[in-house]
Amino acid sequence: MKHEVAFILNGAEICVRIDDHLRLIDLLREVLGMTGTKEGCGEGECGACTVIVDGRAVNSCLYPALEIEGKNVLTIEGLRDAENRLSAIQMAFVDSGAIQCGFCTPGMIMSAKALLDANPDPTDDEIRDALLGNLCRCTGYVQIIEAVKQALQRLKGPS
Amino acid sequence: MSDYRYIGKKAIRPDGPDKAAGKAYYIHDLKRPAMFYGKIKFSDQAHARIVNIDTSKAEKLPGVKAVITAYNTPEVRIGFLRDNFALKKDKIRQYRDEIAAVAAIDAEIAAEAVDLIEVEYEPLKGVFSPEEALEEGAPLIHETDPQGRSRKDNVLPIRYRHESGDTEAGKKAARYTAEGVYSTPLVQQSCMGTAGCIAEFDMNNNLTLWAKTQIPFLAQRDFNQALADMGLRGKNTRIIVPTLGGGFGTGLDTHAYEYIAILLAFRTGHPIKILYSRDEEFAYLSPRQSSQTTITQGCDERGNLTFRSIDVLQDNGAYTSWGATYPSVMMLPATSLYRVPNIHFDSKLIYTNNTYCQAMRGYGNPELSWALENNMDELAEAAGIDPYEFRLLNCNEPGETTPMGLKISTCGLRESLRTAAEKLDWKEKRGRRKKRGVGMASLMHVGGGARIYRSDASGLILKLDDYGNVYAYHGGVEMGQGLHAVLTSAIAESLGVLPEKVFINPTDTGTCPWDVGTHASRGSFMAGNVAILAAQKLRGQIFEMAEEIFPAEAKKKLNKILQKDKGFKPAEFDVERAAKRKNFDLKDGFIYIDDAPDEPWLRLELGRFLRAVHFRDQGQMLTTEVFYDPPNELPDWKKGYGNMSATYVYGTQGVEVEVDTDTGEVEILKMVAAHDVGKVLDPQGLRGQFYGALAQGIGYAFYEKLESQQGKIQNTNFRDYKIPTIQEMVFPIDLEFIETDDNFGPFGAKGVAEPGLVPTAPAIANAIYDAIGVRIHDLPITPEKILSALKKVPGTFFQGEK
Amino acid sequence: MIRFDYFKPNSLDEAFSLKRKYPDAKYVAGGTDVMVQIKNREIQPLALISLRNIPELSTIETNGKARIGAAVTIRDIIGHTELERTYPVLVDAAKRLGSTQIRNVATIGGNLSNCSPCADTATPLLIMEAKLRLRKLETTREIPIVDFFQGPGSSCLTTDEILSHIVLDPPSERAQAVFLKKGRVKMDLAVASVAVLLELDGDKCLKARLAAGSVAPVPLRLRRVEELLEGRRITPELISEAQRMAEESVSPITDIRSSQEYRRHIVGVYVKRGLEKLLGWSRV
Repeated sequence: MKHEVAFILNGAEICVRIDDHLRLIDLLREVLGMTGTKEGCGEGECGACTVIVDGRAVNSCLYPALEIEGKNVLTIEGLRDAENRLSAIQMAFVDSGAIQCGFCTPGMIMSAKALLDANPDPTDDEIRDALLGNLCRCTGYVQIIEAVKQALQRLKGPS
Repeated sequence: MSDYRYIGKKAIRPDGPDKAAGKAYYIHDLKRPAMFYGKIKFSDQAHARIVNIDTSKAEKLPGVKAVITAYNTPEVRIGFLRDNFALKKDKIRQYRDEIAAVAAIDAEIAAEAVDLIEVEYEPLKGVFSPEEALEEGAPLIHETDPQGRSRKDNVLPIRYRHESGDTEAGKKAARYTAEGVYSTPLVQQSCMGTAGCIAEFDMNNNLTLWAKTQIPFLAQRDFNQALADMGLRGKNTRIIVPTLGGGFGTGLDTHAYEYIAILLAFRTGHPIKILYSRDEEFAYLSPRQSSQTTITQGCDERGNLTFRSIDVLQDNGAYTSWGATYPSVMMLPATSLYRVPNIHFDSKLIYTNNTYCQAMRGYGNPELSWALENNMDELAEAAGIDPYEFRLLNCNEPGETTPMGLKISTCGLRESLRTAAEKLDWKEKRGRRKKRGVGMASLMHVGGGARIYRSDASGLILKLDDYGNVYAYHGGVEMGQGLHAVLTSAIAESLGVLPEKVFINPTDTGTCPWDVGTHASRGSFMAGNVAILAAQKLRGQIFEMAEEIFPAEAKKKLNKILQKDKGFKPAEFDVERAAKRKNFDLKDGFIYIDDAPDEPWLRLELGRFLRAVHFRDQGQMLTTEVFYDPPNELPDWKKGYGNMSATYVYGTQGVEVEVDTDTGEVEILKMVAAHDVGKVLDPQGLRGQFYGALAQGIGYAFYEKLESQQGKIQNTNFRDYKIPTIQEMVFPIDLEFIETDDNFGPFGAKGVAEPGLVPTAPAIANAIYDAIGVRIHDLPITPEKILSALKKVPGTFFQGEK
Repeated sequence: MIRFDYFKPNSLDEAFSLKRKYPDAKYVAGGTDVMVQIKNREIQPLALISLRNIPELSTIETNGKARIGAAVTIRDIIGHTELERTYPVLVDAAKRLGSTQIRNVATIGGNLSNCSPCADTATPLLIMEAKLRLRKLETTREIPIVDFFQGPGSSCLTTDEILSHIVLDPPSERAQAVFLKKGRVKMDLAVASVAVLLELDGDKCLKARLAAGSVAPVPLRLRRVEELLEGRRITPELISEAQRMAEESVSPITDIRSSQEYRRHIVGVYVKRGLEKLLGWSRV
């Protein structure tokens, strides 16, 4: 069957008609052509597909697209500001050397964003806990943690 | 030492912002108009005759555009030994053999069609270890060689060996010896972006392949051969490399799936995309080569090594890819890590019905170092010498030529050993044996390219436009290691322009100069060197033309200034006289005359200069090209001799661990990695390379293993195959970069992409030994193996072993 | 091809009537198990009935007993201050389940209904002797959680039943519990896990409840260990005995994650460590 699903995507209302069996990642990548969200494993293990739904980080590869009805979805494409500039978190990732091949990066940034939106002053342990479900093969994670810490400083603003 | 503007300083990666924005396009994201999707049917047998393949149901499925097998396509042989085929005919030899492929309008239909293909097999007895494959009467994996001659056994006709000195004499001279057998498992490269490609023919039957490759030009060669096999001799392949979701060696060979995409593209006349899912990546992509190494070393009374004997046995799997050449790289540390006068190194590769293997970071060095560095500690113990002192005693020094003929120009080994020992608090912590311990291991690796092919070259084309922008065309591949950042900095530094004005073009065999490939840690070494050479050439051209252009433009500019500001008093300076090519400099995109007064009319913006050159009579555009083949040698593999690289890197890693003897868990308390890098080009990028390598080394040490049973990989997802998460990297890591300032390295730098994971596992093993007196010989070091080994220590109850 | 219809009933009655209409439909909550099973073709349901939008399944009540709706997410369990205060061992286990992304959608009912011997929420609920409310259209029944698990992937739910609530009695003042889990890396299915609850009077054990995960076809109560401990002063010798008895009580298998010998051994070690921690003899 097909159904319509109306939701808010990166701040804008949208309504699409999709097959029932679609996952949120299929809706984003295939139906809407938003390829920023990546599929790394399809099983919720690698986190490359992470998007934020109603403020919470989720694996879009396991999320039935029809469940997004009425919800607020934020993807990597939605982090740029109105002038198409990178957000503070994205700039921190670029600045800290936290990006190598970049495949895990959108998911990693979304997990970081979900964390910092909910907890503006996380401890190192809380940062690690938030990013546990995001695998990276290139960076060894050290500079990713530095990036998140730099981001939280940037977001706090000048003291 | 000169003060560089960009070299040695943090470089912002040019590819960073797009990746952060989700705007980098990987093979996963690319579509071509009218593209079809390909899916492959893999065998579900390890060794069998193909009796029949029935594709009729698949062909009838709506949306299916083509179904191919070896029986309706031309034979395409692949692999450097030509023992493999794009699609398998008559016989299958391993679980992942490609039997058939489907092109359909979407991937789901293609996958469903694959399920509808029915294959009838006549199972054959399989052999799943070198021992089984060598038994009397063992079935032959390949009955004939690629030339059609009968084979008599499962031994590969590849043998890397080295004999130097007199090992018998060395044995006699040894007061102490240590012997051991060490093994390493199959490990998956686990790139976060899986393998895939898009193949497309134009109406002239020339092929374009968007490929996840690290060897675009060697791939072009391979695919052109395939085109010839397909009846398209003389037609050309163009390889375009999109953003890669990781490499780690997976892109060093051409793969059956790529040839299959090409066959489907030719059959259908449409672009074909094949993309591996994560399961397919685990099950069907060649992993790191496994190994078994038997090593004996001996030393004299004082601890000087007197001989080293190494025999490597490798399960080659069913076909041959770069796993078979690991022993050629193993030969380097085998002959040249520490000073050893008498060396025996030999290797044997055996066909089996297991998966065949390809390159992975380190390419045999982690495998050999696992054995060698464990054994060094064992020998030190036998001799009653502290392992750190033992290594210092046998340390390589700059200026030596090793038994393999490697010319060690600069060598940071001694310093790296000292640094590791100091940072670990070695003297304080070593030898207490109370569940906490420290251990170290060293490495050596190529750092100045690696001649494994008749050319080890790279090139660079720099094209200037009217605005002072510099377009770079380079055949090296950016796979996340930061090559483009280094290339940008090197060009900016050497040419004298701002990094923002440098644009690196996509790697494309249609536009870039030939490059042997981004492997063997040669990326930055080559990119840096060609940048310096090209910049030199370009500056020469610019300064020659500036002799005429500079005075003319200076005059124009001065007149304009005087028009606006009548009171302006220009400094006394005879521009005409000073405007000689040897007096010019280009800095931050401005041309200057050395020692000229600092006035606006005496600096010429590069873009303005270029427009003046372009639009004058008989105008010109500036483009320059260089091609550099480093001063290294293709070794004589019969003798195991030759200076394979222009320079070598050394290093030492040290680890402090604590072992929980109830659970067998090992906690890393601290890690130090002291590496000779020649020169730090990009400190942030360099750290990133090492942190990433250390993480891979930790996975290798503790839990990464592809479980193969009767030839079938059992753990084909991230639930069952574990790589380190962010919570595994919780200990302090001390990175120490030793700058030995190499003569052949660009700005003194050596290649460092691989060394970071070479000594990690043995350093950990040596630390565990210090902690609990137990040495595991077979990677990975799991808690199960530790507890099993500890049953030898009184007081534990654990019975079983894995 | 993966094809299914997807229904989002707003009430249990609606869910039940959909199930009657589509008997082969599968109930799904967070989807973190079901979606993976579908992807791997382990199951091929023609329809999914989502339980995510049924208010009565998504609430937590904590007046007196705790009644946790089966569709409450693991994340919401962790974030519930009252639950954390009263049943901290459940929250501890919930924190160890998967990753943030998984916890944000996975549900406690899904974790239990999947009937994996590894289920992280099972062992804490076993030691707290939770009751499970099972509902079908006409009736509701409440069973002790220990009767729920029949085998790997198999519960006592009949085809027309769903797990609707997890019911917990308020613990006694003296009760303390701990949850220990071993994976190969930090995000992993349990190689082995143990939950221990003790009610102590000094070092005398008034009540002991222990459960182990990943070491039997179902999450397992370690009754013989409980019997060993109850009514006795806990000494290092008794703990060693408990350790051995725990090892003997379980029937682990060797699989891709670990060996049976190792799992057996870890269960014993974790029982020992759990007991020592609750006695205040060590920090785990």
